[in-house]
This record gives sequence, C-alpha cells and structure tokens, in this order.
Amino acid sequence: MTKDLKRVFLEELRSVKSMTDLSHLRVKYLGRKGIITLELRSLSSISPADRPAAGKKITSIKQFIEAEFAVVESILKREELQRELQANCIDVTLSGKFVPFGRQHPISRMLSEITDIFVTMGFGIEEGPEVESDYYNFESLNIPKDHPARDMQDTFYINDDMVLRTHTSPVQVRVMEKARPPLMIIVPGKVYRRDADITHTPMFHQIEGLMVDRGITFSNLKGVLEAFLYHLFGPDTPVRFRPSFFPFTEPSAEVDIGCILCGGDGCNVCKGSGWVEILGAGMVNPVVFENVGYDTEEFSGFAFGMGVERIAMLKYSIDDIRLFFENDIRFLRQF
Amino acid sequence: MLVPFQWLKEFIDITDHAQEVARRLTMAGLEVDALVKHMDGDIVMEVNVTPNRPDCLSIIGIARELSAIYKIPYRFPEHSVAASAGELGLNVDILDTNLCHRYAGRVIRGLKVEARRTPEWMQNRLQRCGIRSINNVVDATNYVLLELGHPLHAFDLQRLKGSNIRVGTPEGIKGQWAMASIETLDGVEREISGDDLLIWDAEDPVAIAGVMGGLDTEVNNSTVDIFIESAHFHPPSIRRTSKRLGLKTESSYRFERGTDIKMLKKALDRATFLIREMAGGVICGKVDIYPKNYRPAEIEVRCEKINKLLGLALSSQEIVSCLKGLGFEIKDAPDKLSDRLIIKTPAYRRDVEREADVIEEVARIYGYDKISASLPMATLSIDKQKEGDKRRSVKDEISGSLLKSGFTEAINYSFMGIQDIDLLGIGADDSRRAGLIQIMNPLRVEDSFMKTTIIPSLIKNLVHNVLHGSRELRLFEISKVFIGNGSSRLPEEREHVAAIYYKERVKSLYRDDTDDFYIVKGVAEAVFNNLKIYDYSFRRSSEAYLHPGRSADIFIGNDKIGYLGAISPAVLGSLNIKRHKASPVVVEIDIESVISSITEEIKYKPMPRFPCIERDTAIVVDSSLESSMVIKWLKLYPSELIEDVYIFDLYYGKNIPEGKKGIAFNVRYRASDRTLRDDEIDELHSLLVDYVIGKTGGELRQ
Ligand SMILES: [Zn+2]
Repeated sequence: MTKDLKRVFLEELRSVKSMTDLSHLRVKYLGRKGIITLELRSLSSISPADRPAAGKKITSIKQFIEAEFAVVESILKREELQRELQANCIDVTLSGKFVPFGRQHPISRMLSEITDIFVTMGFGIEEGPEVESDYYNFESLNIPKDHPARDMQDTFYINDDMVLRTHTSPVQVRVMEKARPPLMIIVPGKVYRRDADITHTPMFHQIEGLMVDRGITFSNLKGVLEAFLYHLFGPDTPVRFRPSFFPFTEPSAEVDIGCILCGGDGCNVCKGSGWVEILGAGMVNPVVFENVGYDTEEFSGFAFGMGVERIAMLKYSIDDIRLFFENDIRFLRQF
Repeated sequence: MLVPFQWLKEFIDITDHAQEVARRLTMAGLEVDALVKHMDGDIVMEVNVTPNRPDCLSIIGIARELSAIYKIPYRFPEHSVAASAGELGLNVDILDTNLCHRYAGRVIRGLKVEARRTPEWMQNRLQRCGIRSINNVVDATNYVLLELGHPLHAFDLQRLKGSNIRVGTPEGIKGQWAMASIETLDGVEREISGDDLLIWDAEDPVAIAGVMGGLDTEVNNSTVDIFIESAHFHPPSIRRTSKRLGLKTESSYRFERGTDIKMLKKALDRATFLIREMAGGVICGKVDIYPKNYRPAEIEVRCEKINKLLGLALSSQEIVSCLKGLGFEIKDAPDKLSDRLIIKTPAYRRDVEREADVIEEVARIYGYDKISASLPMATLSIDKQKEGDKRRSVKDEISGSLLKSGFTEAINYSFMGIQDIDLLGIGADDSRRAGLIQIMNPLRVEDSFMKTTIIPSLIKNLVHNVLHGSRELRLFEISKVFIGNGSSRLPEEREHVAAIYYKERVKSLYRDDTDDFYIVKGVAEAVFNNLKIYDYSFRRSSEAYLHPGRSADIFIGNDKIGYLGAISPAVLGSLNIKRHKASPVVVEIDIESVISSITEEIKYKPMPRFPCIERDTAIVVDSSLESSMVIKWLKLYPSELIEDVYIFDLYYGKNIPEGKKGIAFNVRYRASDRTLRDDEIDELHSLLVDYVIGKTGGELRQ
C-alpha cells in the first residue's frame, strides 16, 4: 500500500504545473481530510502492538511527501519569478532619458586653471573695480596724462577722471595702499579696450600677479613665471624673456613661449618667428612703490600680467576671439 | 619703424645676416615683428619701438643700439656744410621758451625744386619706409627724418611775410582767449586752440609746430629760396595739439615722444648737404636760438643694488662696459673705493632718469637670457583669508550648482543700451535705469552703458541660439552690474548671477510635464540650499517684463535679492522667437546679498533616535490662496513634535467647487526623547488641521 501511495503521489506530483496545482495536491494529501491525515488518524484503530510500526511507516511517507513538496515549490517559485521578469522586459536599446549637462565657459576654465596654479604656490586672490579712476588706472602706475604710453591702450572713458580699467594693474596699487609686504597676490578680472577685430574684443580677461618682499630679484621673477609656464604648457616648453616697456615696471620684460602650433618652425600664429608672446612682466618701478609709501630700499618685487583669451586661443586652437562672447551653445559645449 | 638693412649697414659694419641681427635686437628690447625681402635682395626689418625709446625711431638710432649690443662702433653720414655765403636776412624769435627749447635754421637761395629730380636710390628708400616722394627738397628733409630721427620743415622763404619767424601760441602772440586758424599741407582748414604752439611769420601762422606745415608756405616747383627749420619742442605740448586736431604725422610721432636736442644741428646740416647736392643753391646764413643749454641729469647708481635687484654678481667693470657701450658717460665716483657710479646720459636717452632705469639698461645689454631663474625664498605670512578668496569660493559654489543643473556658462560684454532697458520696461526711478553709467566713447550706440542687469544679454544669447536651431537652452552668467550714484565717485559694482531656461515642447519618449517656472525655481532653491541659506522665500513679483501670473521676487529674510519668472508674452513678441514656442524663464540674483547671508559656522545635530509618525490630509481652500500660506500656518502651530511639512498635491476640477482648489499635505511628527503613540498624534493632528482650516478659511476635504 505504501509503495502504491508513493507511486500515485509522485505521478500526481509530476502533473503539477503551478502553485495552485501544488496547493490542491497539498490539501489532498496533507489537508485536514487529506490522505495522510486520515491515515494518521486511522492509526488509533490499529492494535497497539502494530501501531508503532504502522505509525513509523506513515510518518516516513509524510516526511517524504513534505520534502517532495518543498523541492517542487522552490522550482515553481523560481519559474514564476522567471515568468514575471520575462513579462517586465523592456527595450534596452532605446536611448535613456536625457540628463542635461552644463559646461563651464572656456574662459572661466582657463581662469580657474591659471589661478589654481598660483594659489598652489601661495598667492592669494584679490579683486578691484572695473570702472576705475584715472589715478589708479594710469597716474599711480606712472602713466601721466599727455604721455605716449597712453597710446598703448585705447581707453573707454566715463568722464575725464573715470575710465573702464584697461588692465588689472590698478588693483596692485589698491592692495599695496592697504597692506604691507610680504605680498603675494593674483588678480583675475575683466578689462576693457576700445578695439574690435578677430584678435581684439572691447572686453577681455587678464590675470595680474604681484609679489613684494625683501630681496625679491629679477631672477625670482624668471623662476616663478617659468614654473608657472611649465605647469600650464608642459615641462619641455621653451620660454624666453626679452626686454620691453611698461611704465610701472623697471626692468620690464615680455615673456614668449615656443609656438605650440608649429613647434617653433614658424606659422601664421607666431608670424613665422616660432615664438608667441604670453606674458608681460617686470620689477615693480620704484615710482609705484613711492606712490603707495613703500620704502624702495627695503622692499623690491615683481609684477606680471597675461591675457586669458590669448592663452585659451593658443591652448584650444581658436582663431577668432569673438567666439568667446557669442555664446553659441555649439561652441560652449565643446569645453 | 621700418629699417632697410642696406641703409643700416652704411652706419655700422655688421657681418651677421639680417635674421640674426633681428634676433639680437629682439632680445635687447627692440622687437622685430617681421623681415620683408625685396626684389633687389634688400631686407626691411619691421621694428616695434616701445614709446619710451624715441631714440630708436631712426636708422642711426638702430645702428647705435646695435653698436651697444655688438660692442662695435657706428658712424654718422656725411653732413659737412660749406661756410655760409651771406646773411640770413630773417628775424627769428622764440616767444614761448617752455614749449620750444631750441630753434635753428638755414636759408638756401636760388635752388631748383623739381618733382622728379630726387635720385632713384633715395626714392626707393623713402618708399620702403612708407613715405611718398614729393620733390627733391621735401624728400631730402624726409630722408633725414628717417635717417637721423629728427623732423625738419622747409618753408618757401618768399612767402614768409615780413622776413620774420616767431614761435608762440595764439594766446602768447595775440593775447588771452585768442584762437587761430591755418590751412595745413593736406588742404584742411584747422582751428587752433589758444595754447597750441605755432610758427608765425610777421602776420599769420605758417605751421603747426612739430605737427604739420601750412599750405601757404609750402615748398613747390615755383619755390626758389627756402628756410629749413630744425627745432626742439616740448613733447607733451605736441602730443596735446596732435590729439586735439586728430592729426598724427611722422613728425608729431617723434616730437611727442621726445627728440634729440643735440642731433638737431646735425640733422639740419645733413639736410642742407643733401639739398645742395640735389637742388643746388647757395647757403645763406644760419640761426640757432638755444636759450637754455641742455644739461644731462646725473644719476647715482650702486653696483650692489644692480646685482641685488637682478640676482647677479657683475663686477663694476662689466657694468661700466655695458653703460659705456650705450653712450653713457661715467664720471668718477666721489669715493673711488665705493661701488657708486655717477652716470650722465646722452641727450637722446631722456627715458633714463633713475637708478632703476639704469638697472634695466644693464640687464638688457647683459642679456635677460643670461640671468638664471630661481624661486624666491618666501616669507610665510598667516594672513586672514583674502576677500577675493571668499568671493571666489561662493561664486564657484553657485556656478557649480548651476552646472550640475544643466546650465552652461555664458560670458557677455559688460555693456548694454537704452533699448535693453526699454525692452524690459524698467521705470525711471528704478536704479537699473536711474543708475546707468554712460560711456563717452562707445564702439556702438547700443553698447553705450554699463550693465545694470544681466538679463538682456542672456535674452540675446537665447535668440541667437534659437535662430541657430536650439530647441532647448539653459544658460547662466555670473558678472558684475554697475549702479551709478549720480556723483563723481566710482559706481557701485555688484556681482550678479542670472540664468535663462528655454524648452520647446517636442515629442519625447519620456514624459516630463513639470512647469518651466518650477524647474528654474528648483534650481534657485538648490543654489541657496547648497550655500546653507534656508531663510529664503518667494513672493509674487511686479517685474514689468515678466508674466504677472508666473513670476516671483526672491527674498532672503526681508531683503529682496532677486527675481524669477517667465518672460511676458508682450516682450517675447518683440524678440525674434516665434510666439507659439515656449516662453523662457529667467532668474537674476544679487550675489553680494547672498554672500552677506552666509553663516560660516557648521554645527552638527544628532540624528533622531526615535521613529516618526506621518499623517496626510487634504483641505479645500480658495484658489487664490497661495500654498505658502498653508505651509506657513502649519509651521506656526505651537508644537515641538512637528518635524517637517510639505505639500504633495494640488488639484482643481472634478469634485472641487468652482473657485476652489485642493491642497494635500504631509506632516511628520517626532519626539526627541521617546516613541510617539498613534493616539496622541491622531489628537494632535486633528487639532493642527482645525487650526490650519481656521486660519486659511478652508474646509477638510472628504
Ligand atoms: Zn608657430
């Protein structure tokens, strides 16, 4: 009988295709009126002597059936999960939902990159007004009225004594008036010149630097600026310093790097010379120190300035400066 | 300055080829921009002469500089003139010795002026240097101008009335308030101010000193006798006159930078020599009025200071050799043992005035490239954080928030026009109109003012991009605005941030029907939250160019710090964007106010230890009631157990009466010291709901 029971059970179990079938079968065998339950209950009608053996037998069948049920149930559950997952299938080849991304303006990027290099060296950031007095923009920097040096910068005037600053240099004077050396500052900002063509815009960005302390030398000026240029353009970049003229520095220098476009062979960008001008610099003119009340015997220092657009144009191979201010998204997205 | 190489070689024996000479000049501070090769093999160097070096605005000046660089001698051209054969016959007088420091001249009679008599070699050289050949006399004076750097002027002697030459201003000659007028060589009648220096004959002005001669006394084919002028004028005066008249000539260019008062006579003799060769004639006397002899300044220089500033260790002999090469005179130091030098500069180097200038000369001739680079020994200073550092970090945070929200950064010019202010409908009392700062000399009339708001530029950027096919755009800009105060003080400059959002409704796989206003508002809130500013609020705005139903002013505490909203359809109509497309939403915030609201301190608050209980409720209120009122009353209810409230639904229509709206909100309760019981919260929540209903005049939605 037991053998039959197992065989019949296994046969019925094989036809189970779903959890519902399974629970029906469970009721049939293990339910309150199920076959096994009834068998167990009928034990009481068996003679006490046979009862343990019969009980053991029916219990073992019950354990067998329960084990089988457990196995089938786990298989069925797995199959059901599979079916559910199948039903939830989507087209993974459709493009995802667009997440808009913003881009920093190339000039801002360049400004940050340059400022970061100097901040790492220990320079602090200062700012100053863009509408500036004639005194700070010119006079205090040793550029008197009626001096040809004023021709170097075409100026926007608000009135006779107020201009749009033509360089970030007035901030040097403003800072020195308020603080005593040692000073290590850089001044990023907008400047204005009355000029417009493919290499000039009426507004552009400059970064000015100033270092004043005891015993600062021209050799230090070279050291700091070379370190900066190697950082920005790579350690193998050729760098040269040549004499120039700025009224507020003495000696003055212009700093060139080997043309990155032609590698020094000569091209349109470097006008065939193999060099491109990148920085203006010099030792602070004692006249400027006198204007801010610094003792020229005790302190010396250097200042430098650079055009950010120019550097960005070189680094990104941009040939028209006006692109920076058109704000065409197709341009801005490339940075 | 254009320098033909063959001409240069007449004055200095250089064996290097032009390319190398150009490199040496560049490395000594005379940057050679280009070398142009001509058919006959001559090479013209384009030298960029800085404003402090007028002494290099001549062939001889470049030769002199090369002589210092190469340490070889240079020489002058032939300029010996036979003794005069007669009287000058001219009365010369300097009336203003402050503006004219020396005035010399020669008379040549009986010469032959001819337009095509100038030798070809001279015509070629003039042409190569950018000067047109006129006639043999004028060409000779121009040739000397290029060769020796000294401008000269030739007058037709017979047209000078009264055999008289006077140097003075209209006020000096004719008295206070006087003016004058003169027709110059270019045929233009010019009004001359009372303090401009002129050359006069017995009656009228005959030349604008140092700038241009008069047409009346011009040397032409009918001229027989000439007077050649060679003078020295006060540079700032020439510059003022040239600027005032808008007249810039080869002559004024040199005079305003400063000419060599000693070269003046050589130049006069050289021109006389050349004119005699080319036009014949007899030299009849000369004049040279030189009221106050030029005495070069003596500059004291310390060798130790030179080395200290440059970071070099030059011997005093090396320094002296550099300076002597430049034509500087070295006087013995008062004390032979000290390292002091007394230096006298030549008359053509008036730019060298102080010790620092001499240091530059030494460095230049020694060679910048020979000075080694070294990093400074820094003095450590524990400074308080620089104002600029703090501003930078706030601006970085703000732009970071916007970049993460998908906004791309724009940079526009700081200019705007009155048309922009009109477009935005900004009123007369608004500081954005009343505080406009006007530029005297703008490049375009539309750019005549400094920005008082960033929005117009962003609108222009939007129009540009939409015209080029953008259907969605998010741009922002951080920039200063300028508010004038009507006085002569500098205007107030305030950093602003503004953004523009634009999205056309296009078919898309994924639905997103959030109103654009709320997208931008969310971005603005993110900016504040990122800076840990939480007491901001939004109130309906009255900004004229924004949609009245879709705009809000932004407050921190009780201060208005910006605004946000959809651009009104009326404004959109005048832009180049089609009406049926989306309307852009803009926001502008004053960063200065934001900076002053930032509290730097961060204090940790422990995380809650006990669970919370949440309750949702919907009420019906008048549709005009703004949801912020509901939040306000919920937050004002006096219970410490209310942790947070937020609105999660807002609905109209079905089951809601006309003129009403449903608002559903969630309240989260929590105690810091115990687990709350459901029944106590049920009671508290129903009191809260009654309170809010009472305050808002709403009713519970069933
Ligand atoms: Zn190149």
